[in-house]
Amino acid sequence: MKTFEKLSILADSAKYDVSCSSSGSDERIKYGGIGATHNSGICHTFTSDGRCVSLLKVLLSNSCIYDCSYCINRVSNDRKRASFSPRELAKLTIEFYKRNYIEGLFLSSGIIKNEDYTMELLITCLKILRYEYGFDGYVHLKLIPGSSKELIDIACSLASRVSSNIELPSSKSLKLLAPQKSKETVLGPLIIARDLSLKKSKKPILMSTQMIIGASDDSDFDILKTASILYEKALLKRVYYSAYVHVNVGANLPIIPQSTPLLRRENRLYQADWLLRFYGFKYDELLDTQQQNLDLNLDPKTFWALNHLEHFPIDINKASKEQLIRIPGIGIKGAFKILKARRYKTLNLEDLAKLKISTKKAKYFILDRGKYQKEVPLYKENLQLALLSPSPKLIQPLLFDENYAALSGEI
Amino acid sequence: MRIVYDGSFEGFLCVVYAVYYKKIRIQEIFTHSSFSLLSFDAYEIQTDTIQAKKVLNTLHARFEKTHYERITHIFLCDSVHVEKELLEYIILGFKDQKYLENITIPSIFRLHELQKEFFRLVHKMYGFVRFVELEDGNLYAKIETKFNVLPFLGKHFCKRLASNNFIIHDIKRKLAFVKSEKSTQMRVVQSFEEPTHSSDEAHFSNLWKVFFQSVAIKERENKKLQQNFVPLLYRKYMSEFS
Ligand code: SF4
Repeated sequence: MKTFEKLSILADSAKYDVSCSSSGSDERIKYGGIGATHNSGICHTFTSDGRCVSLLKVLLSNSCIYDCSYCINRVSNDRKRASFSPRELAKLTIEFYKRNYIEGLFLSSGIIKNEDYTMELLITCLKILRYEYGFDGYVHLKLIPGSSKELIDIACSLASRVSSNIELPSSKSLKLLAPQKSKETVLGPLIIARDLSLKKSKKPILMSTQMIIGASDDSDFDILKTASILYEKALLKRVYYSAYVHVNVGANLPIIPQSTPLLRRENRLYQADWLLRFYGFKYDELLDTQQQNLDLNLDPKTFWALNHLEHFPIDINKASKEQLIRIPGIGIKGAFKILKARRYKTLNLEDLAKLKISTKKAKYFILDRGKYQKEVPLYKENLQLALLSPSPKLIQPLLFDENYAALSGEI
Repeated sequence: MRIVYDGSFEGFLCVVYAVYYKKIRIQEIFTHSSFSLLSFDAYEIQTDTIQAKKVLNTLHARFEKTHYERITHIFLCDSVHVEKELLEYIILGFKDQKYLENITIPSIFRLHELQKEFFRLVHKMYGFVRFVELEDGNLYAKIETKFNVLPFLGKHFCKRLASNNFIIHDIKRKLAFVKSEKSTQMRVVQSFEEPTHSSDEAHFSNLWKVFFQSVAIKERENKKLQQNFVPLLYRKYMSEFS
């Protein structure tokens, strides 16, 4: 089989895995030839569905002995199978890298023959890259669940980041959809990797995982709870969420007519995850057993604010950074701008606009010159309505714009 | 007074010199190229390297590092005219460095935002530059950008392509960053001939296209979103879009 055909099959088979950012790594190892990793993640191009392409993301092989129902590569699917040789893939990576097509390699594989055999092939590819080509760039390796501790150790020493997809947030769903996997086997490689890097007391290796959204009936609460636990146990740097793509049919799988709501749910989960990691929110502040799912129409911060109006309105001239970033529509950057600017003057709503901070949402949650805005009363239902109403387009500004009225002499 | 200078960084430093040593009060600043279209009088500032050096050394000594660097970054934003703001920035900076972080002053805010825009472009170009391999094994890239990001690209790729020689060629500005075994330098490109690609080049750029197409998820096609991230003007030299 020609490299062309292999690449098209093996890139196609890997594309549903989203955990692929190269950001947040820095140069830790020196092999001395080609390559460096960049701190903030570089996108080299964007696909026609608008996703960032940063890494050469392929499978070493799409043959697999497992039969996970959501996976396009499961053994029971009748698909064209292909494999790269480790050397072939290493060369391809270097050639792509030096033309600046990619930041590095994201390598994963279906399970060929058995777990350890597969892991060994992956390691061979990494060794060629690191030792023969002296490649110092980014390599993300998916650890094969169930492979031996020794191999995981070697893999961790060669890769920039490792991951193992837990795929589904609960054991119950795993049993249903991926009967050959269990929470123990999918988490196993991550636990081994964490313990190894703790023991060596060097900088811990970066780890991440992926959860599929919408293939099982787990709620957003379940999902965010699982993510939080993984973050807290210092297991993971990132959790990725991937809206289920309907590639197979199966008795246990949901039938999804169209993917738009699911993509939106994925997006809301990413936003919520962001709040967990950078905004100091806890998962049980955002959701609880009563309110199990995020609102698809409101971003999670606005959703939280509406349920916790007791914290509002906030005086932007007095609030701490922690309070500022909890205001809907104000991000970390905005909060820093406010903190910086208010050293020089007392800020009002117009000042925020001048600083290019959007006040569309924020204006309902802050005090402007010590006063709360008068259009909408501070009640959940009223605010929700105001925040959800489509932004005034053609007609409304004409009706209320005084300048326009003066010009035309009409209303 | 209206003044006109040659548009170079040295020239601008001489404008600063004129303000401080010749006590010229400035209303408007033009460059030769923007001024030729207009027909009123203006005082011409001659570019003088000694004056420029003097100003630069003073700035270096009196300005905090980040404030000093901002001046050079702003000057690389060569397609916008912010000389007035930059002059105000320098004048304020000499009074008190504290002013330079006060984003409630419009000119300071403008420069802060411009600097951010500059670095967004730099960051984008880190990803969007495409090299081709030439006959002799060297790598070659063409760029056309709104601001002059070449010095930053050069530095970035020196780290990344430690074992390769390469040239990044800024077509519109007629500049090139050249890295060889012996040296790294910026050069002015007077004329050039389209170089010959290596025999492998077409093979790998085709593989890249294959990869680019296979990773797209057809069911979620969203060309508009794609265009937000990679506006058409960046695509000229990106092989996957040709
Ligand atoms: S083990 Fe991985 S590749 Fe194999 S069927 Fe399951 S998800 Fe797919």
